[in-house]
Amino acid sequence: MIFAGIAAASPSPAAVPGAGIFTSPLILSLTIWVPVIVAIAMHAVPNPRGRYDTLMKQIAFFTNLGLVFVLFIAYNQFQTYLPTMQFEEKLPWLPSIGVTYHLGVDGPSMTMMVLSGIIGITSVLASWGVRERVRPYFSLLLLTQAAVNGAIVAHDMFVLVLFWGAVIIPIALLVLGWGGARREAATWRLVGYWGFGTAALVVAVMAAYAATGGRSFDMDVLLKATLTPRVQLAIGVALVIAAATRLPLFPLHGWARDVYSEAPLGVTIVVAGTASRLGAYLLLRALVAADHDAAHLLSPFIAALAALTIAYAAVAALRSPDLRWAAARLAMVPGGFTVFGLAALTPIAIAGSALSIFTGGLAAALIVAAAWTLTERAQTRSMQLLSGLAPRMPILTWVLVLAALALLGVPLMASFPAEAMIFFGAFQSQPVGGFAVAAGLALTAVALAAVVHRVLFGQPNHDAPAVSDASLGETWYLGVLAGALLWVGLFPGGPKLPGTDQPIFDPGLVNIMAAGITDIASPYVKPAPAAAAQ
Amino acid sequence: MSNLIFVPEGLVVAGAVVLVLMARVWRRPRWWLPTAVAALALIALLFELWVGATLASFFGGAYVQDRFALFAKSAVLLAAALAIAVTDWSDEEAPTIGMAMILLAAFGVMVVASAGDFVGLWAGLEIAGATAVVIISSRRTDLGLRLLVMGGVASGLVLIGLAFVYATVGSADLPAVRRDMGFEGATLPLAIAVFVLVGGLAVRAGIPPFQFARVPISLGASPLGAGVVIGLVAAAALTVAVKIAGALTPLPAVFAPYLMVIAAVAMVGGGAAALATRSPRVRLAYLAAGQVGWVAAGLATHYRSGLGASLFLLGAFALAATTGPALMAGADVGEFALAGMGVLRPARAAGIALVFLSLAGAPPLAGFFGEFAVAAAVAQGGNFWLLLLGLLGAVMSLAAAIGTVRAIYLQSPPDESRRGAGARLPVLTRLSTLGAVALCVAIAGYGVFANPIISLADQGAEALGLR
Repeated sequence: MIFAGIAAASPSPAAVPGAGIFTSPLILSLTIWVPVIVAIAMHAVPNPRGRYDTLMKQIAFFTNLGLVFVLFIAYNQFQTYLPTMQFEEKLPWLPSIGVTYHLGVDGPSMTMMVLSGIIGITSVLASWGVRERVRPYFSLLLLTQAAVNGAIVAHDMFVLVLFWGAVIIPIALLVLGWGGARREAATWRLVGYWGFGTAALVVAVMAAYAATGGRSFDMDVLLKATLTPRVQLAIGVALVIAAATRLPLFPLHGWARDVYSEAPLGVTIVVAGTASRLGAYLLLRALVAADHDAAHLLSPFIAALAALTIAYAAVAALRSPDLRWAAARLAMVPGGFTVFGLAALTPIAIAGSALSIFTGGLAAALIVAAAWTLTERAQTRSMQLLSGLAPRMPILTWVLVLAALALLGVPLMASFPAEAMIFFGAFQSQPVGGFAVAAGLALTAVALAAVVHRVLFGQPNHDAPAVSDASLGETWYLGVLAGALLWVGLFPGGPKLPGTDQPIFDPGLVNIMAAGITDIASPYVKPAPAAAAQ
Repeated sequence: MSNLIFVPEGLVVAGAVVLVLMARVWRRPRWWLPTAVAALALIALLFELWVGATLASFFGGAYVQDRFALFAKSAVLLAAALAIAVTDWSDEEAPTIGMAMILLAAFGVMVVASAGDFVGLWAGLEIAGATAVVIISSRRTDLGLRLLVMGGVASGLVLIGLAFVYATVGSADLPAVRRDMGFEGATLPLAIAVFVLVGGLAVRAGIPPFQFARVPISLGASPLGAGVVIGLVAAAALTVAVKIAGALTPLPAVFAPYLMVIAAVAMVGGGAAALATRSPRVRLAYLAAGQVGWVAAGLATHYRSGLGASLFLLGAFALAATTGPALMAGADVGEFALAGMGVLRPARAAGIALVFLSLAGAPPLAGFFGEFAVAAAVAQGGNFWLLLLGLLGAVMSLAAAIGTVRAIYLQSPPDESRRGAGARLPVLTRLSTLGAVALCVAIAGYGVFANPIISLADQGAEALGLR
């Protein structure tokens, strides 16, 4: 009976490829609990002297592939004309305090789930070289994936806090167990900053809970309640702190350099790609969509934080003596853009921000992955030694250049429509912030040009160790990230089958992302001049 | 049916008496004895769940069976059964006496849970405390003496506090105290009496800054002894605190401020000390102290939701704090004692990891659910400063727990030649493996299937007269 409920044929006719293959009332729970169950099962299976290491990697890979399949189904069955939550699951959990196991996705969260699927596959591919303690590594990686998915689809604040906090533990253990020389410092910084952010989120949630009479943690109740501006402001400040520690935003970015440069590559990709994007997602879901007065009051400060983050990241990257550090700084730039769009509080900028969560996650993951792989292949991280590598590393050269273009948001990259929408929307409401962010973008371009020129196209350094280009395995994960960025950049409405108007992925990522944005952005729509005059 | 209500208590006491007699006959226990005693505790638990739902009152209201008693007794019996199952009995000086004492400690908590007046509360607390002294003395007489002195001080304070409350209110019956509180004002004598009483309970629970006996005992006692002190005795003190808080609810001004201060110090102090120490057993003791602070914070709210949340967390606490030291067995020195445990003893290692994370309040385990429920009650009461301090302590506790989990899973086992007395690997038995697996299921399932548990805890709070 349970299994029949989990996997039942869709009664609706298949309008597009993928729809009608499979449907389930528990489709979102599957994306959370299947990785958890597989992780526990993997951990329980004996693996004497690493005999089944390859099998463990394959299990992790195929679990992620299965998740992508489930997401593909959900993506195809997603109704773009509905601004409401879809695939909802609701069960009472702690009824005495008003907690429900409530999951659901709207446009932005469906987009983030697609991002999570891509990043999940990529992180496993990037972890293929792990040879020590393979079983716990992949178990923890799957637990991380499950926690991130849970935080994305949560529609109850308790569930959100649970998964938001749960992300910390497997990531900390992964960095601590498989990280580089400075892994201890990286871990404790991560736990400190993310723990502080989680505490801020709990305070925000509890303040909203108390202000609404302590009835429910359901987002439908907490986020739709009418709160006084003062309470909204307190909640808003706590939410900004929570988001700033996770994304990260200046000045709460202290963990980023060490974690991005010391964590194993697969973990770095997950952190840069999805786990950190949860910060922006939180601001979108809990501040912009709910606390309108606080969003208006805090928007100049948030815009300032965004501009400072971008400028700081660019300057710090310019001054970095280590390529991974430089990439870690540059990976902060997309977060700054996303938050700036949210601070603009115009429908088009909010839509750009929602898309920017997706594109920024991919761009940040690509830049840190490219830098990580390049430094491994070049056998050094020192910017003094890394020089003129383009002729000897053609694949990595392309990838690094693509990553740089994605960070800058040039046309044909997925980040272009996102950044364009953010700027178009932001100059209406935050012109000063817009100029500041544009100046930061110029600084970022300078930093990227300097780094790329020095590392790839400078004079070759004959004292540097021998280098080699990316292997086939490395090309796979870098290719998936770069390909995803180009996919949305080239076909924002979804790629089409050759010779037809039928999209392969109907209804297209941008349409998916836009579903729900109307609802979120409606309080920020300014009346037309004619209507205002009347 | 009401005649069967005493069966769980009867089974536990009879089991303890038989064990004490057996200890006179057998110097070393038979191999099947731990299994039999754990089974006895489980049978008592099943009886409690079966007949405990019957509401009844005996001895003129001195013994009450209500939802509160059902919840507290079930939690403590489960904790005792699992502790007996996971204990490495080869590492205990007097195993048969140890088994008897843990049953008696559980009996002490059961007496407190069913107490309808001050006498029952005090008697139950003393039974639990006395058993701890016996177990600790079997390995270290000096520590037993220290615990005896500390227990005497705590007992004296509790007794004086109860006597003063009795003198002020004119009744030792808990429902009567609660009723009369509605007519009493918050007078200075009453406030002093409650201050002394709460201080005594804090000393008995060994929370910071009253950990004079708790930490040395955590280091020097046998694993089971440490579990009884850190878990069951603290649970007894907390159960008394819950009952007292329920009775004094009409006058929150006389107890809530003390509890808030105690909670704040315990939450922050416990987290900070857990982060600072390297010994797994001491770390566990401090993590447990931090969670005791959360329970106190829930009581300080003086609402039904707060007391219900505290009771819910108390169940999770009793389970983790009692079984934790027993699971770690001889690992009472540095972190290296647990290094590689994940490879060598996987079930036990998973249990230790979950115990540490649950006591730290890490999601999605039992402790997290309990602490979140308390946090919700604290926020509803408007005490955001207390919530902030609690969260600060929780972050430090989480960092400390991650350090221990790292040692278990990510560090290689030390050479056998380096294993001293403080890093001895526990003996692997079927019972201990089964117990560790059951503990993991209980700690993970406590939160996942929290609905019936927290409903029972909420009914328990209601049974104390709170609406």
